[in-house]
Amino acid sequence: MKTTTLLYVEDDPEIGTLVSRYLRERGFEVKWLRSGEDAGAFAEGCDLAVLDIMLPGLDGFTVGRRLKKLAPQMPILLLSARTSIDDKLQGLEFADDYLTKPFHPEELEARIRVLLRRFGTFASEPVAIKHLLFYENENRLVNRDTGEEIVLTGKQFQIFTYMVRHLGQILTKEQIFEAVWGEPYLEGDKTLMVHIRHLREKVERDPNAPEVIETVRGIGYRVRA
Amino acid sequence: MKKSGAGNGTKFRDSLLFRYMMIVLLALLFLPVVVSALSILFTLFPSPAELKYGSSDELQTVWHAEARRLDGADAAAVNARLRALKQRYADATLFWVDGEGRTRLQLPERGGLPETWTADEAIRFMKRSVDADPFTVVAFFGPEEKGPGFMVLQMPRAFLNIEWPVQSYASLYFGLMLFMFVAFVVMSWLFFRNIRRRLVRLEAAMARTDEDGLPAPVAISRPDEIGRLEHAFGVMADRLREGREREREEEELRKQLISSLSHDLRTPLTVIRSHVHLLGRERLSAQGAESVKQLEAKTETLGALIDNLFAYTLMTSGKYPLRIETCDIVRLVRQSAATWYPLWEKEGIEAEIELDGVSLVWKADRNAFLRVLDNLFQNVVRHARSGGYVGIRAQVLDTGIQALVISDRGPGMQAKSDAKGGGIGLAIVDHLLREMKLERRTDSDEGGTRIAIWPNREHF
Repeated sequence: MKTTTLLYVEDDPEIGTLVSRYLRERGFEVKWLRSGEDAGAFAEGCDLAVLDIMLPGLDGFTVGRRLKKLAPQMPILLLSARTSIDDKLQGLEFADDYLTKPFHPEELEARIRVLLRRFGTFASEPVAIKHLLFYENENRLVNRDTGEEIVLTGKQFQIFTYMVRHLGQILTKEQIFEAVWGEPYLEGDKTLMVHIRHLREKVERDPNAPEVIETVRGIGYRVRA
Repeated sequence: MKKSGAGNGTKFRDSLLFRYMMIVLLALLFLPVVVSALSILFTLFPSPAELKYGSSDELQTVWHAEARRLDGADAAAVNARLRALKQRYADATLFWVDGEGRTRLQLPERGGLPETWTADEAIRFMKRSVDADPFTVVAFFGPEEKGPGFMVLQMPRAFLNIEWPVQSYASLYFGLMLFMFVAFVVMSWLFFRNIRRRLVRLEAAMARTDEDGLPAPVAISRPDEIGRLEHAFGVMADRLREGREREREEEELRKQLISSLSHDLRTPLTVIRSHVHLLGRERLSAQGAESVKQLEAKTETLGALIDNLFAYTLMTSGKYPLRIETCDIVRLVRQSAATWYPLWEKEGIEAEIELDGVSLVWKADRNAFLRVLDNLFQNVVRHARSGGYVGIRAQVLDTGIQALVISDRGPGMQAKSDAKGGGIGLAIVDHLLREMKLERRTDSDEGGTRIAIWPNREHF
């Protein structure tokens, strides 16, 4: 299995040491740079960049924008100590996610994994969800209990893939609908509910007590590993 | 920057005062000047040289002198003298009458004269000649002019009076006065109209502002008082602009300072947290594990506090310009709840979100509203965890307006919470709600807290 390489830019030595140690323990290869100036040169071969916003020399936004230009397919996670809302906006123009300090190392890892999955870096590996095994690249969903393949319709597959890519996250109805159908969700639209019901009939052991696709009442749905 | 001592720099002859004084002076001096000028003209204009034969007075004097000199002369001498005089006064008619009253030499010969003069005829002739044309001089011979005999000179008045222009000078005088008066009025009017125009232009320039809300610079028209005013105005506008610029720089600096301060405070916090995390993975006693849990919770709180503190500082200094747009509030609430849900789950807080089919469309800034929700939800976690419940629903108020209601079953806000620091969070909430023209009402008792948010009268 190919190890995932992270480009990590952090000027604070203590945080840098702790975080890169933690991430290495968790099985990532970490290229830790103390400044963002030559981040571009190290971006080659990296799967994801973690940037601290307050960098000496070049500020994190500039570095981020430069990286995004250089490698548009590489997700960028911002570590921000900044408070202001406009900074968040500015950051999110190029960054794919952000985390404010002080962050929990486990949360950082979780966000990294979500991002990698979203960008398809993990797509080649099967994801185990309860009694299911999902091969995204091969468009295959296997029931581990029976060893049988579950055949999904196009929309069902899209919905399921979207949820798996955001594994562990709660997704609102609007989010799912707009990602899959590509048009604005109208309050009261039952389309998504119907699709989820059909999807559950295929993937759940007991569609009346769903385990794979959880309903988060009043908010949306969640798929957890 | 330009020299500001314009007040002393302007020459007096450039000033408006000087120019208007010149106009007034011109008008005042005009009367005596014109009068004396005309008097000079009077004496100069009808100069004697211009009269071919001198004035009538001179002619009279000469003629009488000649007559005196011819006292006792014989006829031939008188004739010769008259002929000589005729040479001098070519345009005149001359004749003489001897002691016997006979008309003698006439130069030129002319009719209408009596051969012999009686007293009657002489008197009639004299009477006719008075103030008539030709001008007539009658002189008796002899030193006392007693005669006998007399000689007469008749000169057409045309040669004596060159158009003596008393009448035309008077009308010229009045014309000039009128002209000067009109000229004075017109000049004054032009003078003040010019001042007024420049003042109006300056006023317009002061009212006109550029994108910074500062008056645009004014071109200096002339180096007089208004010119100085324009200059002073320009200097003032420059100072304002500099001040604005400096203010902006200071704001930027302050923002930078707050950002880096925030960063500097969070960095050690992150380190603490990472170490606490490492500690948590060691084998610990129950007491130790509890301590680690407390440490984690406190670093979390501290981080949020720093965040809110700086956010509040920036916000109240007007650094957060809100982008108000029409927002689907239900959607924002779901989005926010989705991020808080895992924490609620972990803390054993049951979330009851009843927003299906509800439509709340308000004007808000997306991020600001999310921040409001963040702070409210954070307070639920911090202060109302014991209630184990958070409810989010829409409710129609007595006024008929639909409000968003967030409720918990905590000990209420009067109760002393074991995690303090909700104050600044609520301050931010109130600030942002005010900016978005939203209203908040909080009902709190031992049974829990209910926070209702709804658009106020100015909202729509």
